[in-house]
Amino acid sequence: MPKEPDILKIVKEDILRILGETKKEVLLDSIKAEIKVSPSFVSQAIKGLEEENQILVRKNFIRLTKDGQNKAKDIVKKHLVLENYFKRTKNEEEAHKMTDILEHYVSEEVIKNIKKLSTFKQRGVPLTELELYKENLITDILIPNSKLFERMVSMGIHPGEKIRIMYKTPDGFVVNVSRKKIALGKDIAKKIKVLE
Amino acid sequence: MKLKILLVGQPNVGKSSLLNALVGPKVIVSNYPGTTVEITKAKNVFDRTKIEFEDTPGIYSISDRSAEEKVTERALFEENPDGAMIIADSVSLERSLYLAFQVLEAEIPVVIALNFVESAEKRGITIDHKKLGKILGVPVIPINPLTKSGINELVGALLKIKKTKEEVFTVRYDDDIEKAIKKISFQVTKTRLPRRFVALRVLEEDADFYKYLKDEEIIEEAKKGLVDHPRVSEDISITRSGTAAFIAEKITRITSVAEKSKSLEERVDRVLLHRVWGPFLTILTFVAIIGALLFLGSWVQDTLMGFTGSFLSAIHIGGGFIGTALEAGLTGLMAGVSIALPYVFLFYILFTLVEDTGLLSRFVVNLERFLRGLNLPGKAIIPLALGLGCTVPGVRATRILASGKERFYTASLFTAVPCSSRIAIIRGIVGYFGGKLLAASVLVSLIVAFLIFGYLMKKVMRMEKKPVLYELPELPPYRIPSIKNIITKSWIRMKTFVYIVMPFLIIGGIFYTALDTLGVTKAVVGLFSPIMWWLGLPAVAIIPWLFGYLQKDLSAAMLFTVLGTEIAVVLSPLQVYTFGVATTIGIPCIIATGMLLKEFGSKRALALTLVSAVYGLLFAGLVWRTISVF
Repeated sequence: MPKEPDILKIVKEDILRILGETKKEVLLDSIKAEIKVSPSFVSQAIKGLEEENQILVRKNFIRLTKDGQNKAKDIVKKHLVLENYFKRTKNEEEAHKMTDILEHYVSEEVIKNIKKLSTFKQRGVPLTELELYKENLITDILIPNSKLFERMVSMGIHPGEKIRIMYKTPDGFVVNVSRKKIALGKDIAKKIKVLE
Repeated sequence: MKLKILLVGQPNVGKSSLLNALVGPKVIVSNYPGTTVEITKAKNVFDRTKIEFEDTPGIYSISDRSAEEKVTERALFEENPDGAMIIADSVSLERSLYLAFQVLEAEIPVVIALNFVESAEKRGITIDHKKLGKILGVPVIPINPLTKSGINELVGALLKIKKTKEEVFTVRYDDDIEKAIKKISFQVTKTRLPRRFVALRVLEEDADFYKYLKDEEIIEEAKKGLVDHPRVSEDISITRSGTAAFIAEKITRITSVAEKSKSLEERVDRVLLHRVWGPFLTILTFVAIIGALLFLGSWVQDTLMGFTGSFLSAIHIGGGFIGTALEAGLTGLMAGVSIALPYVFLFYILFTLVEDTGLLSRFVVNLERFLRGLNLPGKAIIPLALGLGCTVPGVRATRILASGKERFYTASLFTAVPCSSRIAIIRGIVGYFGGKLLAASVLVSLIVAFLIFGYLMKKVMRMEKKPVLYELPELPPYRIPSIKNIITKSWIRMKTFVYIVMPFLIIGGIFYTALDTLGVTKAVVGLFSPIMWWLGLPAVAIIPWLFGYLQKDLSAAMLFTVLGTEIAVVLSPLQVYTFGVATTIGIPCIIATGMLLKEFGSKRALALTLVSAVYGLLFAGLVWRTISVF
């Protein structure tokens, strides 16, 4: 689990997100209830945000400054994209929680990729139809054998990763994925879905 | 104090090189993914603490799928290591993190050695290892086994491995899955492994962990709460890899580097992985290796044979049973030293060279289509090729295959893969007395025999067809191999030959003399005369055929004993051919059967030995009879 300064950062982002989602003044106590860390962290985070001029605190209510609004917008967007991504495996509420943990570790690049994914998920084409040397994102892997599935995923062939066909061999393809070269048979390649 | 540390990592991530850096050059380093199927152990003392390192086979994940994974899994979860050193690949960090998460889930103390930092930097990838360490709560140390940088720090972290109190990172699955994990974990018993981990493995359908459950019914019950996860094990994998990707992204900085127009690797691969040139060059290389061997091997053999010949005649031991027996034993040993040793060693050096450069992994991909005819993966070529040196290490090398069925099937093919001793018969008897053309036709017959036997066994064993390239072979970058590594590795492969086969060559020779003195050899001539009738050979030819099984390298000598040295006068070229085919098809010798016994149990070993011998006789007889009709 993250260490203290990270936690503070996470709490700060969470506060901004909550404020960004509701778009109005929020009761301090309700924030403390929603963010499940010790209240002292929340108080510390609020103090920090106030000093950074992201929020205004008035009595028991807080709201975003102009600066804070911009930042909150980004955070909310990131959050939504991640939630979308995790809906593949989770129901909405769980996705929300999972996203809470992960979004703090995500770069803009991944978000861009994931965003593409969530929009295009149903429309992927089999890897076999990808042009030679053209790089594209894996959207899904439809392998019925769960052991083989895990092998592929752990070799870096997983949704959200870029894949590129380097060579067409007699029995399939040699692809470049996660900066490694892997030989894939036609049968398996057909079951990897990529963006068009 | 003593510590037992496992080295865990993907294939080709530099585990063995790191082990070399830690304890000195005693171990195998290879450039073919999946060469270490057994655990290599090595010790060293640091600061009065003895650390025993165990190098495990390279794996991508712990998913109970291949032989490698099973070996590593056992080492991790059943042998109570003090800690695991995970070797991570800076070039493709997220892959390494997947495996790291699985080890962390088992709550095994972990130190991460970050390898290939420089080659990652060349590609514009910089990793904030301190941040990674903070996130994971374990020490992360950048290393370079070649320059030894970071090694001292790594050892320092290992010495403290059991004392770290930091809270380590664990992958969080969604609440439904976590609930199911919790439910199952209450039923976990009789193990020192963490309950959550066992429950997770159970949910991932790893049957090895069912034994820790009080009641297996809990699995079905727990799955009832997973309506949103019809395929929970896949969802677990996805969450793990997603988390790995997120963390890797977070701590990696990528700056685009101007790529060299076409690297050497790409240029070579363009040819070697070409649809037509690839398979062609692969086969050409193998033919070239065998050709070089026959040429070099015969030259070395002739030199050594003259040497050992004069040695044998110089130390004439004297008559009587003991004298003859000793002489036969020595002859066997000398045959081993002069025929098999140079041939086997040369072969293994050439083969290891192909392997360590990274060429072999390309060849394996190209051979997939040929071996698929036998429902085997391309990498089955490795044991089969090693069998061209000696069947015994070949049988052992079948361990790299995934299932027991694939292993035994591959081992059965040694029936028609001639080892050095069998090739010596083809060259020394058929070639010498019947000419090169006749020797070549024996080799062609062996290929035909191989294909027929392979087809029949495939049907009998009901080998199922798997998707093409089911093993997902990875193609490592090309490397200039170190001569030291090649010699070391060839020697390790030779070891079984030297320590198991060589003593048996002596014993076999002595045993044969004993049987001969007791008159047993003569007695079997009449008993087995129908076999020789079937082959159209003189009845006494049974002796080299049958007793060659005790000591293959003595076959030629036995043939001379029973027929005299003027073979060409006594046997027609067709008879020489039939003898050559009949003596080279089949599990070659008692030592090979012994190895089969060790690997597959007595029932299958004996059955295969018998079936393969009968097949060889049938095949040779049928060919002879068909030819003599015309």
